[in-house]
Amino acid sequence: MPGIDECLSQAMTIAGARGVSLIDWSSGLTLGASGDSPTGDHEATAAEATDLVRAAAESPAFADPDDAGTPVRDIIVTSDRSYHLLCFVGTVFDSRLALHLWLDRAVGNLATARFRLQAIAEELVLG
Amino acid sequence: MNETPGEPVGEPLGGPPGEAVERLAERRATGAVRCGSGSVYLEAGVVVHAENELATGLDALLTRCGRIPPDAWRASLRAFGAEHRVGRMLVEQGHLTQGELELCHLGALHDAAFFTLGARPTATSGASFEPGVRHWLGPVNGVSARLLRREAVRRRDLLERIWPCPQVDTAPVVPAAPAARRRSRTSLRQRELLHHADGRRTPADLARLLGRSAFSTTVEVRRLAAAGLVATPLPGASPLLDAPLPATAVAGLQRRTPGAALRRPSPPLSAHDPDIALLYRVRTALEARL
Repeated sequence: MPGIDECLSQAMTIAGARGVSLIDWSSGLTLGASGDSPTGDHEATAAEATDLVRAAAESPAFADPDDAGTPVRDIIVTSDRSYHLLCFVGTVFDSRLALHLWLDRAVGNLATARFRLQAIAEELVLG
Repeated sequence: MNETPGEPVGEPLGGPPGEAVERLAERRATGAVRCGSGSVYLEAGVVVHAENELATGLDALLTRCGRIPPDAWRASLRAFGAEHRVGRMLVEQGHLTQGELELCHLGALHDAAFFTLGARPTATSGASFEPGVRHWLGPVNGVSARLLRREAVRRRDLLERIWPCPQVDTAPVVPAAPAARRRSRTSLRQRELLHHADGRRTPADLARLLGRSAFSTTVEVRRLAAAGLVATPLPGASPLLDAPLPATAVAGLQRRTPGAALRRPSPPLSAHDPDIALLYRVRTALEARL
């Protein structure tokens, strides 16, 4: 049964993965991280990712207004060189968690990576 | 079984509690640091758990939402608490997955550590250390003492940036009038908080009632206060961490102690519309009596 570290290791096996972290977007806490961080500091990146996630999750335009747990499924940011996938982790107990995967665009495949990251997020909770 | 914090019985610790925990970690200590209403547990210099009366514990987080039936929780605690392996057995007996246990535990640990180490910058210790004491949960995650303190400080700064009035963290949550609420946009979670705020419940009470993280509830309450949807009491007028709210307080108004003003200088006026906050409290109290 996987814990946080095993799930982060699995996420790093996704093609093109440069770094992954598990963030608590209610506080900005990094619960775990593996690989590199776009800013060179996983905690600083988590703080910025938290702002992005919160903006989407609390926006009437983007969020599901009736779902307090996971108002958004994932957020995708693309640039010329990178993909960023933010996948919400849903738990029965109260939490506000998301996996942030940073991918090298030249190597990664966005659709596959999204599919695998969601599977990892589910496995983390469901075992 | 549950280690309840009380009068310091162990070795007294000087200085801020966060630094005291770091010093103990450096000498690879095992035991419990008691500070105020909270405890931080070390195992060979690694922080393995933290608890605070103000922070929703694992039990409330996992039972309130229905993830673990309260009876099953109590049975695990009875059966495995003395052996310090409740966490492992919850997973082995199929009540939780390893991932859920780790996620819930890390959240609860940092929440409790924040209220124990970081909630007030000037908190001087009054802390004590009980060597050898271990928590009933047993090993789940380990966090370094340095990271623990840094996170507590970061959280305090985060709250200050939202609304620099720490008194709202521990005072009863008094919602603004419905008219004011209709004018502002609130999230579902914020509306739930406002719905359950009866003028007596503190953010910690609301968090426990709803089975939510106490820190994220505190964040929401500060944001609501910043938006004027929750009254901000005058600094010093709210019950602080070390002075629990008297049960006699009515709808958020403090019962006046005769002669209190003579013993204590009046608190300085807050820059954040204290009159409006006061008027909200007065109106809420009046409405409650009508």
